[in-house]
Amino acid sequence: MKFYVCIKQVPDVNAPLQIRDGELLQDRDRMILNAYDASAVEESLVLTEEHGGKVEVVMVGPDKARETLRKALAMGADNGTMILTDRPDLDSTAYSRILAAFFKDKDYDFICCGKQAQDTDAGLTGSMLAEQLELPYVSNAVGLNYENEKLIVRRQGDAGQEIIELPSPGLVTCSNDMNEPRIPNLKGIMQSKKKPVDSITPEDLGIDIGSIELSTNILGFEEMPERETGKKFEGDPDEIAREVARLLDQEAGLV
Amino acid sequence: MNTILTYISVSDGKIKRSSLEVLSKCRLEAEKNGLKTAALIVDENASSLAEKVRPYGPSEVYIVEGSEFKNHLNSPVLKAVSGAMNTIQPKVMAFASTENSKDILGALAANQNAPALPDMSEFELTDKGVKGKRPVMAAKIISRVEAVGDPVIISVRSGSYDLIESPSEPQIKKLDFTVTEKEIKTTIREILTAAGDKVDLSEAQTIVAAGRGVRDEEGRKLIDELATVLNAGIGASRALTESGVYDPSLQIGQTGKVVSPQLYIAVGISGAIQHTAGMANSKVIVAVNKDPDAPIFDITDYGIVGDLYKVLPPFIEELKKLKSN
Ligand SMILES: Cc1cc2nc3c(=O)[nH]c(=O)nc-3n(C[C@H](O)[C@H](O)[C@H](O)COP(=O)(O)OP(=O)(O)OC[C@H]3O[C@@H](n4cnc5c(N)ncnc54)[C@H](O)[C@@H]3O)c2cc1C
Repeated sequence: MKFYVCIKQVPDVNAPLQIRDGELLQDRDRMILNAYDASAVEESLVLTEEHGGKVEVVMVGPDKARETLRKALAMGADNGTMILTDRPDLDSTAYSRILAAFFKDKDYDFICCGKQAQDTDAGLTGSMLAEQLELPYVSNAVGLNYENEKLIVRRQGDAGQEIIELPSPGLVTCSNDMNEPRIPNLKGIMQSKKKPVDSITPEDLGIDIGSIELSTNILGFEEMPERETGKKFEGDPDEIAREVARLLDQEAGLV
Repeated sequence: MNTILTYISVSDGKIKRSSLEVLSKCRLEAEKNGLKTAALIVDENASSLAEKVRPYGPSEVYIVEGSEFKNHLNSPVLKAVSGAMNTIQPKVMAFASTENSKDILGALAANQNAPALPDMSEFELTDKGVKGKRPVMAAKIISRVEAVGDPVIISVRSGSYDLIESPSEPQIKKLDFTVTEKEIKTTIREILTAAGDKVDLSEAQTIVAAGRGVRDEEGRKLIDELATVLNAGIGASRALTESGVYDPSLQIGQTGKVVSPQLYIAVGISGAIQHTAGMANSKVIVAVNKDPDAPIFDITDYGIVGDLYKVLPPFIEELKKLKSN
């Protein structure tokens, strides 16, 4: 069984950030493997460990994002492809077009993506890619099994969950509620250094990255409107509990 | 070309309020820009729901009906919506952000070769397309974004806009739809509906949410009691959905649901940004936490510092008393 996992390097949302003149300033050293992609890598590894097969990771990003690709290899992925671009403003459409060009002549059973990126939460790239490759897909997977050449996907829907059969070739986008991604051990890290990584450019795939015109743009960033600081109640639990209940009734009219 | 089209989300035969919020806002945008407002209902019983969107003022209600829509599956819905877009040629196609609209948004954008802006908290039309705001970085900050194109596809977070009534006498137009078995490549094997009561958290007026601090049966009973007194929906942090204590569909936050009730009571929840990403837009926030430095207190209107096992019983008792008066 051949899995491809599309991964992305993202800024750590827990790192402090600042907005100055509409620009977002953040610690560029705190870049991580997108948590949802890490779950996609993990699940592909679990499935190929059980049923046999290979896991290849693909990333579109700048050269310095290689460390994140290495991390996926250290987790256990067999090999990787780095599609190099320094363009920082690519949107989901651009990413999915580059990936679609990459997959055009590839053989695989399943493509796994994270369901969204932790920094932008857009959640578009996976199904954009599926549509361009004319693949059936399932989004927001919280569990995967493999039976009779099909992925049996547990999808978290609005109210409940659905168990969906996805034939090969197909694409699935993964939630981090699916598993706890393994932390690479020393052996994995050592091995990852010897694993093959192909480096290519969008131009190699027939895409002139410089001339891609984006149809969505970020105009700037702003702070969240601050919430007014409320009251904090400390002391005798019985007293403060009753006081807040009364305030919810009197001040907020919510009882 | 001259229409703003709103997709009406239907769940269990009921129209989701959040899509009517979007329709209300789209009508205002349409009026401002001299465009028509239309609604699209894709459902097994779509015709019978058309009447329900009338109060929000569409001039046309498009209907796609079929047994394929009994349970959500992306390929038939995608085919129905892209078919409708090909026929209607809207300037903007707007969705409420739900798990089911997220399921097709990207594919639809690729299919229509249209830009997409998901999970907007504000939007307006421009002469080039759409601009607006969306929370990013686990909703720590807001990103101002624009899409240039015609059509533009957007989805809007629930609670971003109010319902505004402006009844109309819309034309009901049924769109032809067929889908072959070969086109639907995936199959639903089973539906696992969430256990317990089915309050739609994205529409709930009051939510009581439990976190890791709720550590046992006794704690869960207190949560149930509190929710009952307040007629509230129950939500949970990832700590408790991950461990299987609460149903995964109750998870609130970045991975889970985004909610915006009038009252949100966080019990034993620390307030990690990935949790607050889903609830910081609540009108009034109450937290019960024994750690006075818990980050949740940064966004609460009423913060109760204390052990939930000691705080909740008198809290519930007092609420009952107030209710009976
Ligand atoms: C990509 C990503 C996405 C995520 N998405 C989500 C999401 O959608 N939703 C979500 O919730 N989390 C999400 N998380 C996880 C999130 O980061 C936190 O780990 C999680 O929210 C913690 O849950 P908690 O507050 O219940 O637990 P904890 O952080 O462990 O907090 C428990 C709190 O309970 C208090 N407490 C303990 N005992 C008592 C008592 N007896 N009385 C009163 N207070 C008590 C403690 O003081 C503490 O503050 C995500 C994480 C990542 C990386």
